[in-house]
Amino acid sequence: MTKSNDKTALRYTQTLLAGLWRENPVFRLLLGMCPTLAVTAAVKPAFTMGCCVIFVLLCSNIIVSLMRNLLKPHLRILMFTLTIATFVTIADLFLKAYLPRMSEMLGPYVPLIIVNCIIICRAEACASKNPLLVSVIDAVGMGLGFTLTLCILAAVRELLGTGKIFEIHVMPEAFVPWAAMSMPVGAFITLGLLLGLVNKVTGKKA
Amino acid sequence: MNKISYFIKQSWLLIVASFFFGLLIAVTNAGLSPRIIQNKINKRNRLVTGLLPDARNFVPVDSEIVIQSIEGRKTKVEVFKAVAENEECVGWSFNAAGPGFADKIELVVAVDANFEKIAGFDVLSSNETPGFGDQIKQDYFRDQFEGAPAEALKLVSLGEPTEIDSQIVAISGATVSSEAVVEIVSHSVTQIGEQIRQKGILGHDQK
Amino acid sequence: MDTLSVLLMGFISVVLVNNLVLTKFLGICPYLGVSGRIDMAFGMGLAVTFVVTLSGTLTWMIDNWILMPLGLEVTRYVCFILVIAGAVQLVEMYIRKFFPSLYDSFGIFLPLITTNCAILGLCLFLHLWMVDHLLDAAVRSFGAGIGFTMAICIMAGIRENLNMADVPACLRGAPITLITAGLLSLAFMGFSGMIR
Repeated sequence: MTKSNDKTALRYTQTLLAGLWRENPVFRLLLGMCPTLAVTAAVKPAFTMGCCVIFVLLCSNIIVSLMRNLLKPHLRILMFTLTIATFVTIADLFLKAYLPRMSEMLGPYVPLIIVNCIIICRAEACASKNPLLVSVIDAVGMGLGFTLTLCILAAVRELLGTGKIFEIHVMPEAFVPWAAMSMPVGAFITLGLLLGLVNKVTGKKA
Repeated sequence: MNKISYFIKQSWLLIVASFFFGLLIAVTNAGLSPRIIQNKINKRNRLVTGLLPDARNFVPVDSEIVIQSIEGRKTKVEVFKAVAENEECVGWSFNAAGPGFADKIELVVAVDANFEKIAGFDVLSSNETPGFGDQIKQDYFRDQFEGAPAEALKLVSLGEPTEIDSQIVAISGATVSSEAVVEIVSHSVTQIGEQIRQKGILGHDQK
Repeated sequence: MDTLSVLLMGFISVVLVNNLVLTKFLGICPYLGVSGRIDMAFGMGLAVTFVVTLSGTLTWMIDNWILMPLGLEVTRYVCFILVIAGAVQLVEMYIRKFFPSLYDSFGIFLPLITTNCAILGLCLFLHLWMVDHLLDAAVRSFGAGIGFTMAICIMAGIRENLNMADVPACLRGAPITLITAGLLSLAFMGFSGMIR
């Protein structure tokens, strides 16, 4: 009894950790690029976006996992899309009600969570084939990995672009902010360099 | 009959789910929309109270004000009368928008009670270049508008920023953004002022 | 004449000044994936243009003629994504019937257009920009597609040459593409201020 419990616990931990590093959605699977570049000008919006994605991912994985035996194969993408769109609408409403400033900063990128490849891919690859608990853990892992990535990218961009992190001044007075970091250029180049760094660290070839 | 039953068998989950999700969205919306609307009102009030400190309440103007936007389209504008605690009018405020350097610039503009002097403006949304056009949000640019006459303003590249008149000194390195703001403010203030005077709303509350 | 100039400005604004890929970060996933060769990039660009024009116009009509008058704005996202999914299905069936070779060469990419942020993004931007004429919406949607095609073809041209360059191993593939995209977006910034 204990042995199988241990094995399941190990499997769960592995699933959780996979989303954080080995199968990190942005750095390894190259999914969800659009919000990564758009909202990472500062850490606060990046973190908010990450939390929204965790919420939507969790809810959609739960619902899809509960429905997995009832899905007809050729309608399943439609079902996924409908589920995700519903939860994104709900998340957007909550954001507009409780965090109006963040909602303005994130703007049209919150509804773009619907077409965020991460969520559909996880629904397709994991939630539609696995029981509830595994799907939940997978969602949490992927969501955390995504949020972490966003925050790292945002920290670099915000630090170099405005000298602050989370709106707290960190850099010394003499530092002249690199305005380019707040603009699309900085986003693309920072992500490209970070990806290159990850590739080097994991020894991946092309 | 067969076709319909086949159709239903294939898509019953879709139909049920649609109902369920629709219900979920409707409930959330009903629950949260008063708060969302209140947020919008709060935001506007917060910004305008920064420009007209005595304002306690904002009353929308009854008649319809239609002006021609900078791009040439006829747009309806919501003008608000700012009233103090004793119901006295302390000014007017409205939103104004126009093309900036990168994207659209949206401002909230406030004028004094007689529609003669501009009380100032605040930037609602803009996408100008950080460090350059973005400076339109800075005090040293915005202060030039406080007390300026509520008529067509002019942008100059050199001048005395502390002198309050109808000349606005441009931000160095951000001429287009500065010009855009000056045009948006002038455009809206002159047109709305004209309409307000025409409709006699101005005269009403001069007690 | 006035309408024409408004339409033209809207078109140029979406193609150059507000290019969806390089300034609004939409459509990056297929951008990275398909820009390897110019012919594939062009084909993808055309497919996206077709779908985006169709869905942009349709969603604008639904938004302005059905959702807003009836106060059903909260269902906007759901409606939009369903319309887009439908439009992509339509395009897929059309291409499979009339251009089977093109269909084969696309493979997985065609259904993937549904999750292309650019399309949903454009539909939402049409609402954000408060576009209030059907023709304006149609022209801007078309412009968005053209802008995407242009960006992806430029990138494909650069990548074809990059293949022969000495790129460090860790930067090959997605990283160098992103850095190139960054430089391209810097270049496109020069178009700001074109619209008055």
